[in-house]
Amino acid sequence: MTNHEECPNKTDNELVRLSLDNSDHFLCLTRRYESKLLHYIMRVSKFRREEASDILQDVFVKTYYNLNEFDEDLKFSSWIYRIAHNQTVSEIRKKSVRPSVSFEKEDIDRFEDAFDITKEIDNNFDREKINEILSHLDEKYREVLILRFLDEKDYVEISDILKKPVSTVGNLILRGKKLFKEEYDKLIYGK
Amino acid sequence: MENKDISQIALQKIKESGIKPISKKVFSLKRIIFWVFVCFFVVIGALSYSVILSILFNNDWYLYNKLGFIFTLKTLPYFWFICLLLFTVLGEIYYRKTLLGYRHRIITIIGIYIIITGILGTILHFVEVGEMIENSISSNIPAYSVVVFDRDEIWSHPEQGLLTGQIVEINDDVIKVSDSNGIIWDINVNDTSIDKKVKLEVGEYIKIVGDMDDDIDNLFNANEIHLP
Repeated sequence: MTNHEECPNKTDNELVRLSLDNSDHFLCLTRRYESKLLHYIMRVSKFRREEASDILQDVFVKTYYNLNEFDEDLKFSSWIYRIAHNQTVSEIRKKSVRPSVSFEKEDIDRFEDAFDITKEIDNNFDREKINEILSHLDEKYREVLILRFLDEKDYVEISDILKKPVSTVGNLILRGKKLFKEEYDKLIYGK
Repeated sequence: MENKDISQIALQKIKESGIKPISKKVFSLKRIIFWVFVCFFVVIGALSYSVILSILFNNDWYLYNKLGFIFTLKTLPYFWFICLLLFTVLGEIYYRKTLLGYRHRIITIIGIYIIITGILGTILHFVEVGEMIENSISSNIPAYSVVVFDRDEIWSHPEQGLLTGQIVEINDDVIKVSDSNGIIWDINVNDTSIDKKVKLEVGEYIKIVGDMDDDIDNLFNANEIHLP
């Protein structure tokens, strides 16, 4: 029987090694990422919590099935985010839905800080507008902005998740921020 | 809405379905295969590069003065340039599939690929591998002559002052040469510049730059004689 109380003291890499010996340890890993990944899936797709949960289950099963593919040159978090990203994109394509973004209060705050957006405006209004702008942004910009400013990943992690060169990630973030700000100013101030 | 214990459900699914992680060997093999492809495309890229160097170095550049820029356009090894480009692209694609290959920019990967194939290709050229490959392909694959410019064809135009053939007889100022059509030409070698490497012996092949005599049939006044 696995002692899950030890889980918080173990690193991701240690838990991967333990999970390969005993699948019960895998629960420690999935619990660690469950909430983050569920929010990530909901942010990048139009799926409701129920659908996002189903996707996340598949992500965890795939992660376990491919656990030996994980290489310690990467961060485990980047690797599991990559699986979640690919699975979500594949589900979006299967269901042919236009991706939307699901926000919470903290998400709005992070976006306002990152984009230097005034906080005078009503939160609900902001949420609606940010959602609208992000939903209409090209996928390549939307995914890097979400990873950078909502999931707070650094450039190398985003590069590992999306399998894109680090310099490309930097350029996409820069260009995405500019496009987002332009659209936001247009909507709010009519500039 | 009730929040599901996603982790627990996933683990249950794993156990019930008897899912086991794919063996590490499978992933190691996959990684090795991608690297084998990368190395393969580097090596054949280098071989293509050595053939390009061999063709360029063995080109009859002294004809540039006689035929002009059209000579350069006609004799550039386009087929091998396309091969090199193709192998570079394939090498880049397979490198990108390696573990951390995606982290680098296309321009960096292609730049490094070109440097490696360039160095390796130059070494192969100096040990005459490029020349060997070209000779082997041109003599064993008939279709090759369709995709590359036949450099010997340029020498089958005595009316333009270009002739090639085998020496069949040597006299004082005239040598007899049989061309590819079996026509015997009298070559006037009086006041002719002869390449130091050329051996004027019966049975040897030579290339002649000069003029066809207007008055006497099959007489060719040679200005220069070169190695084939």
